[in-house]
Amino acid sequence: MASSNIYVGLEIGTSKVCIVVGEVRNDGAIKILGVGQHPSAGVRKGEVVDSETVQTCLHDALMRAEERSDVEVNTVFLAVTGSHIQSINNRGTIRVADEQMEINSEDLEEVKKIARDVPLPKENGYIHSIIQHYFVDGQDKVLNPLGMLGQKLEADYHIVHGVKTRIQNAIKCVREVPLEVEDIVFSPVAAAQVVLNREAKNEGALLIDIGGGTTDYICFVDGAVVASGCVAVGGDHITNDIALVLKIPLARAEKLKVTHGSASMKNVIDAEIAVEGEAGKKVSQEMLNGIMNARVTELLSVVAEPLKQQGLLDKLGKGIFLTGGSSLMNGIGDLAEDIFGIPVQKAGSSSMSGPSALFENPQYATPVGLIRYAQLLDEQKPKKGALSKLGQKFEKIFGGGK
Amino acid sequence: MIEYNEGEANEVPDRSEFGVKVIGVGGAGANVLDRMALEGSDDAELLTLNTDVRALSTSVSSDKIQLGTTLLKGMGTGGDPSLGKQAALEAVDDIREAVRGYKMIFVCVGLGGGTGSGAAPEVCRVAREEGIFLVVFATLPFSFEGQRRMDQAMDALNTIGRYANAVIAFDNDRMGELIVPKDGVTQAFAAADKIISQSIRATMNVAFRPGIIRIGIDDLLSALDATDSRCLFGYGVAKGDNRSHEAVEQALKCPLLDRGKLLNDANAVLVQVAGGETMTLYEVQMVMEEVTKHVGSETQILFGTGTDKRLSNSLSVTIISSIVGPNAEAQQVVEAVEPEEPPVSLGMLAAPIPPLAAAAPEYQEEVAEESVLPEFALPEEPVAEAYGETVVTEGIIEGAVEETYEAEVDSDAGSAVFEPIDEEQPAYAPQEIAGEEDSIFDEDDDGDVLNPIARAMGGDDELTMPIQPPVPAADEEGEVGHVEAVTETSQKITLTRMLSKGNTGRIKTRDAKTDPGPGPALPPTKPPGLADELDIEETSDEARRQQEMLQLEPVAGKGRFAKTDPTIVDGEDLDVPTFLRKKD
Repeated sequence: MASSNIYVGLEIGTSKVCIVVGEVRNDGAIKILGVGQHPSAGVRKGEVVDSETVQTCLHDALMRAEERSDVEVNTVFLAVTGSHIQSINNRGTIRVADEQMEINSEDLEEVKKIARDVPLPKENGYIHSIIQHYFVDGQDKVLNPLGMLGQKLEADYHIVHGVKTRIQNAIKCVREVPLEVEDIVFSPVAAAQVVLNREAKNEGALLIDIGGGTTDYICFVDGAVVASGCVAVGGDHITNDIALVLKIPLARAEKLKVTHGSASMKNVIDAEIAVEGEAGKKVSQEMLNGIMNARVTELLSVVAEPLKQQGLLDKLGKGIFLTGGSSLMNGIGDLAEDIFGIPVQKAGSSSMSGPSALFENPQYATPVGLIRYAQLLDEQKPKKGALSKLGQKFEKIFGGGK
Repeated sequence: MIEYNEGEANEVPDRSEFGVKVIGVGGAGANVLDRMALEGSDDAELLTLNTDVRALSTSVSSDKIQLGTTLLKGMGTGGDPSLGKQAALEAVDDIREAVRGYKMIFVCVGLGGGTGSGAAPEVCRVAREEGIFLVVFATLPFSFEGQRRMDQAMDALNTIGRYANAVIAFDNDRMGELIVPKDGVTQAFAAADKIISQSIRATMNVAFRPGIIRIGIDDLLSALDATDSRCLFGYGVAKGDNRSHEAVEQALKCPLLDRGKLLNDANAVLVQVAGGETMTLYEVQMVMEEVTKHVGSETQILFGTGTDKRLSNSLSVTIISSIVGPNAEAQQVVEAVEPEEPPVSLGMLAAPIPPLAAAAPEYQEEVAEESVLPEFALPEEPVAEAYGETVVTEGIIEGAVEETYEAEVDSDAGSAVFEPIDEEQPAYAPQEIAGEEDSIFDEDDDGDVLNPIARAMGGDDELTMPIQPPVPAADEEGEVGHVEAVTETSQKITLTRMLSKGNTGRIKTRDAKTDPGPGPALPPTKPPGLADELDIEETSDEARRQQEMLQLEPVAGKGRFAKTDPTIVDGEDLDVPTFLRKKD
């Protein structure tokens, strides 16, 4: 394994910049060494709009993380999000040479190349291409076709892509700190690494990460990513709604939301809440909940609609996992259950050691997930190398015989 | 480089029977020819056509024809296709003489400029009239050359597509992918020329190389399946141990094949494998296996192989195919202009919509096009009639005749394009635009003159009231030299095609300059009769009102998200509080 197995995850969120330094142990458990975070500024809807301000926040968070973990951070895994990020599923097909019989690693590479080759808009670039499963001669859901016999090899890929320049802006901002970006990861892909365990992925689960500026989701069925995306609506919108409707400043609206608000219209107590700092101004609980309920209902419906159309909601055996800062909101679980008609649970990250109590907090799912993602990426590399080596060896033996 | 070996006597088709000529039109075409000559082309005659006499004199090809000797006096066209066309018409007899008797002609041309886009369609027409098998290799301009050149190129490509048996279009932007961006400009362009010259050569070789398994023009044709298709072309040559694999890889990497991915959709794929005497059956087999990987199981594979001493120890693979349906680039161009427009294929033979759509961005605000609109539903004879009178404004013939071919569909599309303009533009367009824009639009002004009249008659609203506009137009401007209209009247169809292609605006431009009277002077005199001042005031008022709406509303409704990119889902602006939206 690589000399260093300390990874750093960085999430520049709409509400906070968060850096998590984690060490991956030999047994695969992640130990969190330190966390640095700072309230974010200069980020709107998940995207950097004011690079300089973000860098200040980032620098601050970095100092804290380094100090606590006693690690000098040079490279990070960066989580990206934003409404420009989209995903599609695409299938690549090749015909395996007749006398070759066995599917070899070259075929896999080739089918991947073909599957990836979807017509993206000119300004878009790939973020991820995640294998879903293979088909060999139409046989369903083959997970590893290497060495199988067959004539036709197909591969389904889930491809996540986004506008290059907007992603580059985020990277550029981080590089100027200066930190090197080792890889970029679409936020829900990272969050799923810690929130969803293997069982959940296999049985089908939908992860919804409701953050400050965006709501990201990713849907697993049969262990494969089948849908992912981002809606540029988050907790900030709820606060903004309250502020606009009640005509109060944003800071007070935020406070109202956190301390008194609920997304559910059930069991609303008939009470008036005094708005702090605004002498004499009162708002009824029903009004407050109404505002929040309308927003969250709409938001979840926007997420649910495409999934419903693809018939994915019926395949979610493990139900829905809510994470992200806004999932702490009262009543949101009930509401989501009503909208999706599937059991909903709130999730943080699990199976960590270290100052873990903190990280059960769903706000940290994404940055911790980045570390898990980095770990997986590293695990895959030598494995893949060994396999392809083996493949080459076979090829040599057979090739020589001809 | 594959070369056809003359010494190989056994099944060599007689050259006189398969006379091949390669014609380069314009600067880019000439460059390709030079490249071919450089690489030693002994199997085809080369002919360069150009307007620019200096460029022509540096060309190394054996035959040269200067276009537009009297019209342009040895200078270039300055990027004006209509001049290119005129120039070609002037030399039409020479061209006819030069192509006569050949069985197969390759035309290579760089579209977008004046000579290429203007003259090449003429050359193709002549060749087609002579009944020659015609393959056109065209390059489309880089996107940085601007929309206008792209439009001109697409226009020309459409016209060429109707005459040619096969059109192979190279997108310069995609050529760029093959070339390291840091390469010198000379290298970059040389690389592009090289790809084209390779393609021509490979196509020739495919058709004429003696083979163990022979491929003929018939196979070529079925691979190209000439109706409404886009050509795929790949060529690779390699030496060494792994040559079969490398040659295939190279062929698939060719910009038109898109790494072999497009082959999946092809109906028929022609593959020729050629090599020196060392080529083994196993290698051929390897090549075919690699290719079949990229080809759907339904696809017909036309396979040919042959040996060629000149290849010595290298091996070449040529893949030619075509896919039906819309070409991504062409579609983009069209969509950018008018999303409702049906998709258009690149190598098309039968898609005359783009010329109109392509013209749209330039003239969208111009009422001239609108005045053409009424003719869309014209039956054949009034056109022919109008046509007989050579005095009719060119712009009108253009729209009118063209539209007679494709019936109602286009009249729909056309009205979709121009309907919004009906509302308010005519009133101020002649004044403002004619005044400040350069005289490119003068011709449109002439068309514009018709408009108030048509309007006054209520003709504007009815597409089926076509005949009035051309008549007054006839008096307006007849002096422009439409030589071709007179000389070529017999060939109605082909001629109108030419007319519809040429960008007639420019020609008028020159007229307007030499004789400033009719152009800018006329339009203002007419609209006053319509109380234009009132109209102008009205439109500007409206504009002001719209601006206010735009600025005020979102600020009020969106709070902190006022200045961000709006988040629109299903037409709802999600930045506005749901609570407020749902309450309404």
